[in-house]
Amino acid sequence: MTIVTRVLVGLSITLLAGGVACKRATAPSLEVIAIPVQKVPSDPGDSAWERAPEHVARLLVQDVVEPRLMKPSTAEVRVRAVTAAGEIAFRLEWEDPVRDDMPGPGRFVDACAVQLPRKIEAEVPNPQMGEAGRPVEITFWRADWQAWAEGRRDDIRSFYPNAAVDHYPFAAPSLKQGSPEQAEMARRYAPAEAVGNRRSGPREQPVEDLVAEGPGTLAPAGKTVSRGKGRRWDRGWRVVLARPLPPGLAPRARTQVAFAVWEGSHGEVGARKMRTGWIPLLLKETP
Amino acid sequence: MARVYNWQIGREMSYWYPEARPKRQFAAVFDINKCIACQTCTLACKTTWTSGRGQEYMLWNNVETKPYGFYPLAWDVKLLEMLNGQRWKGRVYLGQTIFEAAPAGERVLGWRPQAQDYAYPNVGEDDCAGEISRGAELSLPHAHWFFYLARICNHCTYPACLASCPRGAIYKRPEDGIVLVDQSRCRGYQECVKACPYKKVFFNPMTGTSEKCIACFPKIEQGLQPQCFVNCIGKIRLAGWLSPPGQARPDNPVDYLVHIRKVALPLFPQFGLEPNVYYIPPVHVPERFLEQMFGPGVSEALAAYRSAPRDPELAGLLCLFGSTEMILARWRRQGDWVVGADEKGVEVVRVPVREPVYVRAAFDTQRQIMRTNCP
Repeated sequence: MTIVTRVLVGLSITLLAGGVACKRATAPSLEVIAIPVQKVPSDPGDSAWERAPEHVARLLVQDVVEPRLMKPSTAEVRVRAVTAAGEIAFRLEWEDPVRDDMPGPGRFVDACAVQLPRKIEAEVPNPQMGEAGRPVEITFWRADWQAWAEGRRDDIRSFYPNAAVDHYPFAAPSLKQGSPEQAEMARRYAPAEAVGNRRSGPREQPVEDLVAEGPGTLAPAGKTVSRGKGRRWDRGWRVVLARPLPPGLAPRARTQVAFAVWEGSHGEVGARKMRTGWIPLLLKETP
Repeated sequence: MARVYNWQIGREMSYWYPEARPKRQFAAVFDINKCIACQTCTLACKTTWTSGRGQEYMLWNNVETKPYGFYPLAWDVKLLEMLNGQRWKGRVYLGQTIFEAAPAGERVLGWRPQAQDYAYPNVGEDDCAGEISRGAELSLPHAHWFFYLARICNHCTYPACLASCPRGAIYKRPEDGIVLVDQSRCRGYQECVKACPYKKVFFNPMTGTSEKCIACFPKIEQGLQPQCFVNCIGKIRLAGWLSPPGQARPDNPVDYLVHIRKVALPLFPQFGLEPNVYYIPPVHVPERFLEQMFGPGVSEALAAYRSAPRDPELAGLLCLFGSTEMILARWRRQGDWVVGADEKGVEVVRVPVREPVYVRAAFDTQRQIMRTNCP
């Protein structure tokens, strides 16, 4: 055996052992188990995620309220969870061969969400967006927001590279660049932004915190405090969603969690989605 | 689904919400015969409302050539094909509306335009249709024909956009019937874009929400007609208030044209939305085409319009189009004059029923010079 061969064989054994160890730690779990960590790994590709047990959540079509999703798409989402310093974080991984991060007429973006009941109690609200008086809290990630967070250029040419623009009122020579007058003029032609509904454009976090008390009631939480990051892997998306622990959700406490995935190129948006029912969520104690 | 009454199709129909007519309904009459497709209305709207980012190809008002012009591409023929040829019996629509034809899982039968469908807003301009086998003689209707169709949001009595929004982010104002997208609630799902058969709700990728014609409501609230009306150089448009059929008033200009003289017709009434922009159909176009577009009232409307030269009431009222920026709630004819008035009947504008014509001799004897037609 040459030295090179010995090194290769040694390397293979090491890799195999590592692989086996990794597999053992991530045997599929029937519930979502959040393991304690020092710090939430913010990158979805961080190997620390492999130490958390994996739960494979089967996805169902949303066929309860109109508009419904009539044809199933994403079959399952693989979930790992960790908890650290008052935070709980989930890494969602699913297969999606096409990156959809460019919204447009008739074009939708990939997205995912984690839903927790606001109150930690034995009886959970309806898994379909909660119910009146019994809200659910949702952390929502969108692929286009990820692109904005990573520096997508704030220009129509980001959507249509060959777009020709004659003139925008806020670009008039009479308005000083960066002046309050110029900002006011720009706001006039972006009504959603003017009323604080920033659905598009540059942002620091690709996620939004939401509350709902039943279908059609989804509303932004007062402030988004969650964090997130999505990255492509060779067959789909891996997304980290980290949010503060809900009050009352301490180690050894149990609650329920639900997930949803939107496949943009399948026309999925809003209620047209693949989703789970409630899945038991357990916080493990620090060993 | 609730049961509601839609007078334009002469029957009850299914709708997502119960009937809730506004206190008064913003409505308009467009006289197609006078439109020259100068697009001044389009630009008046564009410069007022949609000059922002993400609105580059968004036209709340557009003028397209029929039959081959569309904005967005194929907006009407696509849905007509999906409805698959439905029938009227007299003034009663026997077919399905887009609410009744909604497939399982949907609130409305609709389709989603793609970005490229908006890319050529004036496609088909001045392309004419013809029945060449019949020869090219000059007669009415013309053997070869096209016409211009100016379009805004119809501020429908039964809006499909409103019915389709799962968030209830679209509302119809009870005070004037104007249909608006609440920009603080919209999350850009585009259900409204899919549902509106007239394709008059648009997705803006730069704001991430859907936007639509607001009927210039800040002007309406001041008693003024919208920008596309007052800037129309052909004076084809009249804005006003439309009463339900049983409450029509002959001294209300829109009521008189729509309900009493029945000279103005809704656009694709068979879709079931009770749209509130009414068109005086073009006299030079084959009626079978017009009937598909404006319903079974076409013959009557054309006959009424053709009678206008002998009818000082109708001719007079048509002269009020484009005569003032104010909304005219009332009107009356006084001899050779027609008067537009506000809701209390106070005169706002006065125009002659017939513009006086002066014929001057070709030679000016005083100045010893030939006159020309140009000043």
